[in-house]
Amino acid sequence: MSTENQIRPQVQHAVMAETTHDEFSRQEFVRSYKNYLVQNVHSGNQIRYEKLIKPKFQKKHQRPPKDRFEVGKEMVQDSYYQMFSSLLRTSQEMMWSSCQVPVNRDLDNLNHKVKMSKNSKTLGSLRLNTKLQIPRYHTAVDIHCQPGGYHSEVTEQDASAGIVYDRAVHIYAMGQLGPYNDDIGASIILWLQNNHPSLKPKKILDMGCSVGHSTIPYAKAFPNAIVHGIDVAAPMLRYAHARAEDIGEKVHFSQQNAEDTNFKSGSFDLIVSHILLHETSEKAIHNIVKECHRLLKPGGLMIHGETPPYKNMGPFDAFMLDWDTRNNNEPFWARSHEIDLEKLSKKGGFDTQHQFEALIPSALQVAEAKRSKVFQGGDFGGGGLWFIYGNKRQLNE
Amino acid sequence: MATRDNSMSDIKKLQRKARGERPFFFEDPNIDKLISMFMGLAGEVAVLHDRNDTLERLLQTKGLVKQSEIDSFKPNVKVQEERAVWRKNYLSEILRIIESELEGQKSGDRDPYETTIKTVENS
Repeated sequence: MSTENQIRPQVQHAVMAETTHDEFSRQEFVRSYKNYLVQNVHSGNQIRYEKLIKPKFQKKHQRPPKDRFEVGKEMVQDSYYQMFSSLLRTSQEMMWSSCQVPVNRDLDNLNHKVKMSKNSKTLGSLRLNTKLQIPRYHTAVDIHCQPGGYHSEVTEQDASAGIVYDRAVHIYAMGQLGPYNDDIGASIILWLQNNHPSLKPKKILDMGCSVGHSTIPYAKAFPNAIVHGIDVAAPMLRYAHARAEDIGEKVHFSQQNAEDTNFKSGSFDLIVSHILLHETSEKAIHNIVKECHRLLKPGGLMIHGETPPYKNMGPFDAFMLDWDTRNNNEPFWARSHEIDLEKLSKKGGFDTQHQFEALIPSALQVAEAKRSKVFQGGDFGGGGLWFIYGNKRQLNE
Repeated sequence: MATRDNSMSDIKKLQRKARGERPFFFEDPNIDKLISMFMGLAGEVAVLHDRNDTLERLLQTKGLVKQSEIDSFKPNVKVQEERAVWRKNYLSEILRIIESELEGQKSGDRDPYETTIKTVENS
Protein backbone atom coordinates (compact mmCIF):
# COMPACT_ATOMS: atom_id res chain seq x y z
CA MET A 1 0.00 0.00 0.00
CA SER A 2 1.44 3.37 -0.96
CA THR A 3 2.17 5.94 1.73
CA GLU A 4 -0.43 8.35 0.45
CA ASN A 5 -3.15 5.82 1.22
CA GLN A 6 -1.81 5.14 4.68
CA ILE A 7 -4.58 5.35 7.25
CA ARG A 8 -3.77 6.98 10.55
CA PRO A 9 -6.99 6.41 12.44
CA GLN A 10 -8.22 8.88 14.99
CA VAL A 11 -8.25 7.56 18.54
CA GLN A 12 -11.80 7.00 19.70
CA HIS A 13 -12.76 8.42 23.06
CA ALA A 14 -16.02 8.32 24.98
CA VAL A 15 -17.48 11.64 23.83
CA MET A 16 -16.72 11.30 20.13
CA ALA A 17 -19.67 10.94 17.77
CA GLU A 18 -20.16 7.34 16.76
CA THR A 19 -20.79 6.71 13.09
CA THR A 20 -22.95 4.17 11.34
CA HIS A 21 -21.51 2.15 8.48
CA ASP A 22 -22.52 4.64 5.80
CA GLU A 23 -21.69 7.72 7.85
CA PHE A 24 -18.17 6.44 8.34
CA SER A 25 -17.82 5.60 4.64
CA ARG A 26 -18.98 9.08 3.72
CA GLN A 27 -16.29 10.64 5.93
CA GLU A 28 -13.69 8.26 4.54
CA PHE A 29 -14.64 9.31 1.03
CA VAL A 30 -14.06 12.97 1.89
CA ARG A 31 -10.66 12.16 3.34
CA SER A 32 -9.66 10.24 0.20
CA TYR A 33 -11.10 13.01 -1.97
CA LYS A 34 -9.06 15.68 -0.17
CA ASN A 35 -5.99 13.49 -0.28
CA TYR A 36 -6.46 12.93 -4.00
CA LEU A 37 -6.68 16.65 -4.66
CA VAL A 38 -3.48 17.24 -2.69
CA GLN A 39 -1.52 14.38 -4.23
CA ASN A 40 -2.77 14.46 -7.79
CA VAL A 41 -4.57 17.68 -8.68
CA HIS A 42 -2.90 20.49 -6.77
CA SER A 43 0.48 20.25 -8.50
CA GLY A 44 -1.17 20.81 -11.88
CA ASN A 45 -1.67 24.46 -10.94
CA GLN A 46 2.07 25.01 -10.83
CA ILE A 47 2.55 23.25 -14.15
CA ARG A 48 -0.12 25.49 -15.72
CA TYR A 49 1.55 28.52 -14.17
CA GLU A 50 5.10 27.70 -15.24
CA LYS A 51 4.27 26.40 -18.72
CA LEU A 52 1.43 28.68 -19.79
CA ILE A 53 0.52 31.55 -17.54
CA LYS A 54 3.92 32.90 -16.59
CA PRO A 55 5.36 32.81 -20.16
CA LYS A 56 2.22 34.57 -21.46
CA PHE A 57 2.57 37.26 -18.80
CA GLN A 58 6.28 37.55 -19.49
CA LYS A 59 5.63 38.08 -23.20
CA LYS A 60 3.07 40.78 -22.55
CA HIS A 61 4.91 42.67 -19.80
CA GLN A 62 8.57 41.74 -20.40
CA ARG A 63 8.77 40.53 -16.80
CA PRO A 64 7.30 37.79 -14.63
CA PRO A 65 4.40 38.53 -12.23
CA LYS A 66 5.84 40.50 -9.31
CA ASP A 67 3.55 39.42 -6.48
CA ARG A 68 0.71 37.07 -5.51
CA PHE A 69 -1.86 39.63 -6.67
CA GLU A 70 -0.53 39.64 -10.24
CA VAL A 71 -0.33 35.84 -10.18
CA GLY A 72 -3.88 35.69 -8.87
CA LYS A 73 -5.32 37.91 -11.61
CA GLU A 74 -4.09 35.43 -14.20
CA MET A 75 -4.76 32.23 -12.26
CA VAL A 76 -8.43 32.90 -11.55
CA GLN A 77 -9.03 32.90 -15.30
CA ASP A 78 -7.34 29.57 -15.82
CA SER A 79 -9.73 26.68 -16.35
CA TYR A 80 -7.52 24.20 -14.49
CA TYR A 81 -7.30 26.44 -11.42
CA GLN A 82 -11.04 27.03 -11.59
CA MET A 83 -11.72 23.30 -11.58
CA PHE A 84 -9.21 22.69 -8.78
CA SER A 85 -10.74 25.44 -6.66
CA SER A 86 -14.27 24.30 -7.29
CA LEU A 87 -13.32 20.75 -6.27
CA LEU A 88 -11.44 21.92 -3.16
CA ARG A 89 -14.26 24.14 -1.97
CA THR A 90 -16.72 21.30 -2.53
CA SER A 91 -14.52 18.91 -0.53
CA GLN A 92 -14.61 21.36 2.38
CA GLU A 93 -18.40 21.56 2.29
CA MET A 94 -18.72 17.78 2.07
CA MET A 95 -16.32 17.42 4.99
CA TRP A 96 -18.49 19.50 7.30
CA SER A 97 -21.65 17.84 6.10
CA SER A 98 -20.25 14.33 6.61
CA CYS A 99 -19.21 15.24 10.16
CA GLN A 100 -22.50 16.94 10.96
CA VAL A 101 -24.71 13.98 9.98
CA PRO A 102 -23.81 11.65 12.89
CA VAL A 103 -23.83 14.52 15.41
CA ASN A 104 -27.21 15.69 14.23
CA ARG A 105 -28.59 12.14 14.46
CA ASP A 106 -27.40 11.56 18.00
CA LEU A 107 -27.36 15.14 19.29
CA ASP A 108 -29.22 14.72 22.58
CA ASN A 109 -27.32 11.62 23.59
CA LEU A 110 -23.95 13.17 22.72
CA ASN A 111 -24.69 16.37 24.61
CA HIS A 112 -25.79 14.26 27.56
CA LYS A 113 -22.51 12.33 27.51
CA VAL A 114 -20.54 15.58 27.40
CA LYS A 115 -22.55 16.95 30.33
CA MET A 116 -22.09 13.80 32.43
CA SER A 117 -18.37 13.93 31.89
CA LYS A 118 -18.39 17.49 33.19
CA ASN A 119 -20.09 16.36 36.40
CA SER A 120 -17.39 13.82 37.20
CA LYS A 121 -14.93 16.67 37.94
CA THR A 122 -12.12 14.27 38.57
CA LEU A 123 -9.20 16.09 37.02
CA GLY A 124 -9.58 19.45 35.33
CA SER A 125 -12.31 22.05 35.31
CA LEU A 126 -14.66 24.00 33.07
CA ARG A 127 -15.67 27.60 33.60
CA LEU A 128 -18.06 29.23 31.15
CA ASN A 129 -18.97 32.89 30.86
CA THR A 130 -22.33 33.23 29.13
CA LYS A 131 -21.90 37.01 29.02
CA LEU A 132 -18.73 36.89 26.94
CA GLN A 133 -19.13 38.77 23.67
CA ILE A 134 -18.22 36.60 20.68
CA PRO A 135 -15.82 38.77 18.67
CA ARG A 136 -16.87 40.12 15.29
CA TYR A 137 -14.06 38.22 13.56
CA HIS A 138 -15.84 35.01 14.55
CA THR A 139 -19.38 36.06 13.72
CA ALA A 140 -18.79 37.91 10.41
CA VAL A 141 -18.35 34.63 8.52
CA ASP A 142 -18.19 31.04 9.76
CA ILE A 143 -14.46 30.38 9.88
CA HIS A 144 -13.18 27.70 7.49
CA CYS A 145 -16.81 27.11 6.48
CA GLN A 146 -17.91 25.21 9.59
CA PRO A 147 -21.64 25.95 9.60
CA GLY A 148 -22.32 27.96 12.75
CA GLY A 149 -18.62 28.50 13.38
CA TYR A 150 -17.06 27.66 16.72
CA HIS A 151 -19.60 29.47 18.81
CA SER A 152 -23.16 28.66 17.68
CA GLU A 153 -25.37 26.64 19.98
CA VAL A 154 -28.45 24.85 18.70
CA THR A 155 -29.74 23.62 22.05
CA GLU A 156 -29.20 24.05 25.81
CA GLN A 157 -25.62 23.36 26.91
CA ASP A 158 -24.75 22.40 23.36
CA ALA A 159 -21.39 20.90 22.45
CA SER A 160 -22.24 20.01 18.84
CA ALA A 161 -19.79 22.47 17.26
CA GLY A 162 -16.96 20.86 19.26
CA ILE A 163 -18.03 17.31 18.46
CA VAL A 164 -18.22 18.11 14.75
CA TYR A 165 -14.91 19.99 14.86
CA ASP A 166 -12.92 17.17 16.49
CA ARG A 167 -13.77 14.77 13.69
CA ALA A 168 -13.51 17.38 10.93
CA VAL A 169 -9.99 18.43 11.99
CA HIS A 170 -8.87 14.85 11.57
CA ILE A 171 -10.36 14.63 8.08
CA TYR A 172 -9.21 18.14 7.12
CA ALA A 173 -5.60 17.26 7.91
CA MET A 174 -6.12 13.78 6.44
CA GLY A 175 -4.73 12.30 9.66
CA GLN A 176 -1.56 14.39 9.35
CA LEU A 177 -2.08 15.77 12.86
CA GLY A 178 -1.82 12.30 14.37
CA PRO A 179 -4.35 10.05 16.15
CA TYR A 180 -5.14 12.76 18.73
CA ASN A 181 -4.96 15.74 16.29
CA ASP A 182 -2.18 17.01 18.54
CA ASP A 183 0.76 17.45 16.16
CA ILE A 184 1.03 21.25 16.38
CA GLY A 185 1.25 21.13 20.18
CA ALA A 186 3.51 18.09 20.12
CA SER A 187 5.81 19.78 17.59
CA ILE A 188 6.19 22.90 19.74
CA ILE A 189 6.96 20.68 22.73
CA LEU A 190 9.60 18.83 20.70
CA TRP A 191 11.11 22.19 19.73
CA LEU A 192 11.09 23.29 23.38
CA GLN A 193 12.79 20.08 24.47
CA ASN A 194 15.53 20.67 21.89
CA ASN A 195 15.91 24.42 22.31
CA HIS A 196 14.95 25.09 25.93
CA PRO A 197 15.77 21.77 27.62
CA SER A 198 15.86 23.34 31.07
CA LEU A 199 12.35 24.81 30.77
CA LYS A 200 10.11 23.42 33.49
CA PRO A 201 6.96 25.55 33.27
CA LYS A 202 4.79 25.67 36.37
CA LYS A 203 1.84 27.29 34.63
CA ILE A 204 0.92 27.02 30.95
CA LEU A 205 -1.78 28.81 28.97
CA ASP A 206 -3.12 27.68 25.59
CA MET A 207 -5.00 30.50 23.86
CA GLY A 208 -7.84 29.74 21.45
CA CYS A 209 -7.69 26.09 22.41
CA SER A 210 -11.00 25.00 20.77
CA VAL A 211 -11.44 21.29 21.64
CA GLY A 212 -8.10 21.19 23.48
CA HIS A 213 -6.44 18.89 20.94
CA SER A 214 -3.22 20.93 21.07
CA THR A 215 -3.52 21.65 24.81
CA ILE A 216 -3.41 18.06 25.99
CA PRO A 217 0.18 17.35 24.84
CA TYR A 218 1.38 20.07 27.24
CA ALA A 219 -0.38 18.39 30.15
CA LYS A 220 1.26 15.13 29.09
CA ALA A 221 4.74 16.59 28.57
CA PHE A 222 4.74 18.73 31.73
CA PRO A 223 2.81 16.65 34.28
CA ASN A 224 3.72 18.99 37.15
CA ALA A 225 2.44 22.10 35.40
CA ILE A 226 -1.00 23.64 35.80
CA VAL A 227 -2.42 23.84 32.29
CA HIS A 228 -5.12 26.30 31.23
CA GLY A 229 -6.98 26.43 27.92
CA ILE A 230 -9.14 29.38 26.90
CA ASP A 231 -11.49 29.95 24.00
CA VAL A 232 -14.40 32.26 23.19
CA ALA A 233 -16.68 29.39 22.16
CA ALA A 234 -18.64 27.52 24.82
CA PRO A 235 -19.51 24.46 22.65
CA MET A 236 -15.78 23.89 22.04
CA LEU A 237 -14.93 24.14 25.72
CA ARG A 238 -17.72 21.83 26.88
CA TYR A 239 -16.42 19.20 24.51
CA ALA A 240 -12.75 19.99 25.26
CA HIS A 241 -13.35 19.39 28.96
CA ALA A 242 -15.20 16.11 28.43
CA ARG A 243 -12.55 14.98 25.94
CA ALA A 244 -9.65 15.79 28.29
CA GLU A 245 -11.37 14.03 31.17
CA ASP A 246 -11.87 10.93 29.06
CA ILE A 247 -8.29 10.95 27.78
CA GLY A 248 -7.23 11.39 31.41
CA GLU A 249 -5.36 14.70 31.30
CA LYS A 250 -5.86 17.56 33.71
CA VAL A 251 -6.65 20.84 31.95
CA HIS A 252 -8.55 23.88 33.24
CA PHE A 253 -10.76 25.26 30.51
CA SER A 254 -12.39 28.66 30.69
CA GLN A 255 -14.40 30.79 28.29
CA GLN A 256 -12.31 33.88 27.72
CA ASN A 257 -11.12 36.09 24.90
CA ALA A 258 -7.32 35.93 24.53
CA GLU A 259 -7.29 39.69 23.94
CA ASP A 260 -8.41 40.38 27.48
CA THR A 261 -8.30 37.57 30.03
CA ASN A 262 -8.99 37.63 33.76
CA PHE A 263 -5.73 35.93 34.75
CA LYS A 264 -3.35 37.85 37.01
CA SER A 265 -0.37 39.61 35.46
CA GLY A 266 2.83 37.58 35.42
CA SER A 267 1.12 34.29 36.13
CA PHE A 268 2.37 32.06 33.29
CA ASP A 269 5.76 30.60 32.38
CA LEU A 270 4.62 29.49 28.95
CA ILE A 271 1.86 30.85 26.73
CA VAL A 272 1.10 29.06 23.48
CA SER A 273 -1.44 29.17 20.67
CA HIS A 274 -2.00 26.89 17.72
CA ILE A 275 -3.29 28.34 14.46
CA LEU A 276 -5.11 30.99 16.47
CA LEU A 277 -3.57 34.21 15.15
CA HIS A 278 -4.88 33.86 11.59
CA GLU A 279 -8.42 33.53 12.90
CA THR A 280 -8.42 36.91 14.64
CA SER A 281 -8.14 40.47 13.33
CA GLU A 282 -5.66 43.33 13.01
CA LYS A 283 -6.70 44.84 16.34
CA ALA A 284 -7.08 41.49 18.05
CA ILE A 285 -3.67 40.13 17.06
CA HIS A 286 -2.02 43.16 18.68
CA ASN A 287 -4.20 42.85 21.77
CA ILE A 288 -3.32 39.17 22.06
CA VAL A 289 0.44 39.73 21.95
CA LYS A 290 0.07 42.55 24.48
CA GLU A 291 -1.96 40.27 26.71
CA CYS A 292 0.70 37.56 26.41
CA HIS A 293 3.28 40.08 27.59
CA ARG A 294 1.13 41.02 30.56
CA LEU A 295 0.44 37.41 31.53
CA LEU A 296 4.01 36.12 31.24
CA LYS A 297 6.32 35.92 34.21
CA PRO A 298 9.65 37.63 33.61
CA GLY A 299 11.69 35.06 31.69
CA GLY A 300 8.52 33.39 30.40
CA LEU A 301 7.97 32.31 26.79
CA MET A 302 5.25 33.12 24.28
CA ILE A 303 4.97 30.79 21.26
CA HIS A 304 2.36 30.95 18.50
CA GLY A 305 2.18 28.06 16.03
CA GLU A 306 1.04 28.84 12.48
CA THR A 307 1.60 27.98 8.85
CA PRO A 308 4.61 29.89 7.42
CA PRO A 309 4.44 33.57 6.46
CA TYR A 310 4.49 34.57 2.79
CA LYS A 311 7.61 36.70 3.00
CA ASN A 312 10.10 34.04 1.92
CA MET A 313 7.80 32.54 -0.69
CA GLY A 314 7.71 33.16 -4.39
CA PRO A 315 4.58 34.91 -5.71
CA PHE A 316 3.06 31.67 -7.01
CA ASP A 317 3.45 29.76 -3.73
CA ALA A 318 2.12 32.72 -1.76
CA PHE A 319 -0.88 32.90 -4.08
CA MET A 320 -1.62 29.21 -3.63
CA LEU A 321 -1.21 29.31 0.16
CA ASP A 322 -3.52 32.30 0.14
CA TRP A 323 -6.34 30.19 -1.29
CA ASP A 324 -8.08 29.94 2.07
CA THR A 325 -8.38 33.70 2.57
CA ARG A 326 -11.08 34.10 -0.04
CA ASN A 327 -12.23 30.58 -0.65
CA ASN A 328 -12.41 29.00 2.78
CA ASN A 329 -13.77 31.80 4.99
CA GLU A 330 -10.42 32.73 6.51
CA PRO A 331 -10.63 36.50 6.06
CA PHE A 332 -7.57 37.34 8.20
CA TRP A 333 -5.36 34.60 6.75
CA ALA A 334 -3.57 36.81 4.19
CA ARG A 335 -2.94 39.76 6.47
CA SER A 336 -1.81 37.56 9.37
CA HIS A 337 0.70 35.84 7.09
CA GLU A 338 2.17 39.18 6.00
CA ILE A 339 2.28 40.97 9.32
CA ASP A 340 5.62 42.31 10.56
CA LEU A 341 6.18 40.03 13.53
CA GLU A 342 8.97 42.12 15.00
CA LYS A 343 6.74 45.18 15.07
CA LEU A 344 3.96 43.04 16.52
CA SER A 345 6.21 41.99 19.40
CA LYS A 346 7.45 45.52 19.96
CA LYS A 347 3.94 46.98 20.09
CA GLY A 348 3.04 44.24 22.55
CA GLY A 349 5.76 45.41 24.91
CA PHE A 350 8.36 42.74 24.21
CA ASP A 351 12.08 43.28 23.78
CA THR A 352 12.52 42.21 20.14
CA GLN A 353 16.10 41.12 20.84
CA HIS A 354 14.47 38.01 22.18
CA GLN A 355 11.88 37.62 19.45
CA PHE A 356 12.16 34.45 17.38
CA GLU A 357 10.71 32.88 14.26
CA ALA A 358 11.41 29.35 13.11
CA LEU A 359 10.22 26.56 10.90
CA ILE A 360 10.05 23.56 13.20
CA PRO A 361 9.73 19.91 12.24
CA SER A 362 6.41 18.24 12.85
CA ALA A 363 6.61 15.75 15.72
CA LEU A 364 4.73 13.28 13.57
CA GLN A 365 7.16 14.00 10.73
CA VAL A 366 10.04 13.04 12.97
CA ALA A 367 8.32 9.73 13.57
CA GLU A 368 7.37 9.20 9.94
CA ALA A 369 9.50 9.91 6.91
CA LYS A 370 7.25 10.58 3.97
CA ARG A 371 5.16 13.74 3.72
CA SER A 372 4.30 15.84 0.71
CA LYS A 373 6.93 18.38 1.86
CA VAL A 374 5.18 21.36 0.34
CA PHE A 375 2.91 24.04 1.73
CA GLN A 376 -0.24 24.26 -0.30
CA GLY A 377 -3.83 25.25 0.19
CA GLY A 378 -5.93 22.28 1.22
CA ASP A 379 -2.98 20.23 2.51
CA PHE A 380 -3.03 21.15 6.16
CA GLY A 381 0.00 19.71 7.93
CA GLY A 382 1.30 18.23 4.66
CA GLY A 383 4.42 20.37 4.73
CA GLY A 384 5.78 18.38 7.66
CA LEU A 385 6.90 21.66 9.23
CA TRP A 386 5.19 24.25 11.37
CA PHE A 387 6.04 27.90 11.71
CA ILE A 388 6.46 29.40 15.14
CA TYR A 389 6.69 33.00 16.18
CA GLY A 390 7.39 34.01 19.73
CA ASN A 391 9.16 36.12 22.25
CA LYS A 392 10.79 35.66 25.59
CA ARG A 393 9.77 38.16 28.21
CA GLN A 394 12.85 39.70 29.74
CA LEU A 395 13.39 40.06 33.46
CA ASN A 396 13.38 43.84 33.38
CA GLU A 397 10.32 44.43 31.19
CA MET B 1 -28.66 6.02 -1.29
CA ALA B 2 -31.29 3.56 -0.20
CA THR B 3 -29.61 2.02 2.79
CA ARG B 4 -31.04 1.21 6.15
CA ASP B 5 -28.86 3.57 8.15
CA ASN B 6 -29.65 6.39 5.79
CA SER B 7 -29.42 9.69 7.59
CA MET B 8 -27.71 11.50 4.74
CA SER B 9 -28.58 15.15 4.37
CA ASP B 10 -31.07 14.85 7.18
CA ILE B 11 -29.44 17.67 9.09
CA LYS B 12 -32.31 19.52 10.70
CA LYS B 13 -30.95 20.45 14.10
CA LEU B 14 -27.56 21.85 13.14
CA GLN B 15 -26.95 24.87 10.93
CA ARG B 16 -26.28 23.69 7.38
CA LYS B 17 -24.88 26.69 5.54
CA ALA B 18 -21.65 28.35 6.61
CA ARG B 19 -22.19 32.08 6.99
CA GLY B 20 -20.32 33.96 4.26
CA GLU B 21 -20.66 34.40 0.51
CA ARG B 22 -19.84 31.21 -1.36
CA PRO B 23 -17.17 31.72 -4.04
CA PHE B 24 -17.81 30.43 -7.56
CA PHE B 25 -14.82 29.86 -9.76
CA PHE B 26 -16.20 29.41 -13.26
CA GLU B 27 -17.76 32.19 -15.29
CA ASP B 28 -21.02 30.30 -15.08
CA PRO B 29 -21.63 29.40 -11.42
CA ASN B 30 -23.78 26.50 -12.59
CA ILE B 31 -20.60 24.66 -13.52
CA ASP B 32 -19.47 24.94 -9.89
CA LYS B 33 -22.87 23.71 -8.80
CA LEU B 34 -22.66 20.76 -11.17
CA ILE B 35 -19.26 19.84 -9.76
CA SER B 36 -20.70 19.94 -6.27
CA MET B 37 -23.56 17.66 -7.36
CA PHE B 38 -21.20 15.36 -9.20
CA MET B 39 -18.90 14.94 -6.20
CA GLY B 40 -21.90 14.44 -3.93
CA LEU B 41 -22.99 11.62 -6.22
CA ALA B 42 -19.45 10.23 -6.41
CA GLY B 43 -19.41 10.18 -2.60
CA GLU B 44 -22.62 8.21 -2.41
CA VAL B 45 -21.33 5.70 -4.96
CA ALA B 46 -18.29 5.23 -2.72
CA VAL B 47 -20.59 4.68 0.26
CA LEU B 48 -22.50 2.04 -1.72
CA HIS B 49 -19.24 0.43 -2.75
CA ASP B 50 -18.19 0.15 0.89
CA ARG B 51 -21.57 -1.28 1.83
CA ASN B 52 -21.31 -3.89 -0.89
CA ASP B 53 -17.78 -4.67 0.23
CA THR B 54 -19.03 -5.10 3.79
CA LEU B 55 -21.73 -7.49 2.64
CA GLU B 56 -19.29 -9.62 0.67
CA ARG B 57 -16.91 -9.79 3.61
CA LEU B 58 -19.68 -10.72 6.04
CA LEU B 59 -20.99 -13.42 3.70
CA GLN B 60 -17.48 -14.85 3.48
CA THR B 61 -16.80 -14.66 7.20
CA LYS B 62 -20.04 -16.47 7.89
CA GLY B 63 -19.11 -19.07 5.27
CA LEU B 64 -22.19 -18.40 3.18
CA VAL B 65 -20.38 -17.37 0.02
CA LYS B 66 -16.75 -17.56 -1.09
CA GLN B 67 -15.03 -14.59 -2.74
CA SER B 68 -14.27 -16.83 -5.73
CA GLU B 69 -17.97 -17.60 -6.10
CA ILE B 70 -18.74 -13.90 -6.42
CA ASP B 71 -15.84 -13.27 -8.79
CA SER B 72 -16.69 -16.22 -10.99
CA PHE B 73 -20.44 -15.64 -10.92
CA LYS B 74 -21.74 -15.82 -14.47
CA PRO B 75 -25.14 -14.27 -14.79
CA ASN B 76 -27.41 -16.46 -16.87
CA VAL B 77 -29.28 -15.00 -19.77
CA LYS B 78 -32.31 -14.17 -17.66
CA VAL B 79 -30.21 -12.28 -15.12
CA GLN B 80 -28.30 -10.55 -17.92
CA GLU B 81 -31.60 -9.41 -19.42
CA GLU B 82 -32.89 -8.15 -16.10
CA ARG B 83 -29.68 -6.21 -15.52
CA ALA B 84 -29.80 -4.81 -19.03
CA VAL B 85 -33.30 -3.49 -18.39
CA TRP B 86 -32.16 -1.94 -15.12
CA ARG B 87 -29.17 -0.28 -16.82
CA LYS B 88 -31.29 1.07 -19.64
CA ASN B 89 -33.65 2.76 -17.19
CA TYR B 90 -30.71 3.96 -15.15
CA LEU B 91 -29.01 5.51 -18.17
CA SER B 92 -32.29 7.02 -19.26
CA GLU B 93 -32.53 8.83 -15.94
CA ILE B 94 -28.97 10.12 -16.13
CA LEU B 95 -29.26 11.21 -19.76
CA ARG B 96 -32.74 12.70 -19.30
CA ILE B 97 -31.65 16.17 -20.39
CA ILE B 98 -30.43 14.88 -23.73
CA GLU B 99 -33.38 12.58 -24.29
CA SER B 100 -35.90 15.28 -23.54
CA GLU B 101 -34.27 17.56 -26.09
CA LEU B 102 -34.59 14.81 -28.67
CA GLU B 103 -38.20 14.15 -27.71
CA GLY B 104 -38.97 17.81 -28.31
CA GLN B 105 -37.37 17.66 -31.74
CA LYS B 106 -39.40 14.58 -32.64
CA SER B 107 -42.75 15.87 -31.45
CA GLY B 108 -42.36 19.23 -33.15
CA ASP B 109 -42.05 20.93 -29.74
CA ARG B 110 -39.36 23.25 -31.08
CA ASP B 111 -40.78 26.77 -30.92
CA PRO B 112 -38.71 29.30 -29.01
CA TYR B 113 -40.42 29.99 -25.68
CA GLU B 114 -40.72 33.70 -26.47
CA THR B 115 -42.88 32.76 -29.47
CA THR B 116 -45.29 30.96 -27.14
CA ILE B 117 -45.55 34.01 -24.89
CA LYS B 118 -46.25 36.20 -27.90
CA THR B 119 -48.78 33.65 -29.14
CA VAL B 120 -50.78 33.59 -25.92
CA GLU B 121 -50.46 37.31 -25.43
CA ASN B 122 -51.77 37.97 -28.91
CA SER B 123 -54.52 35.40 -29.17
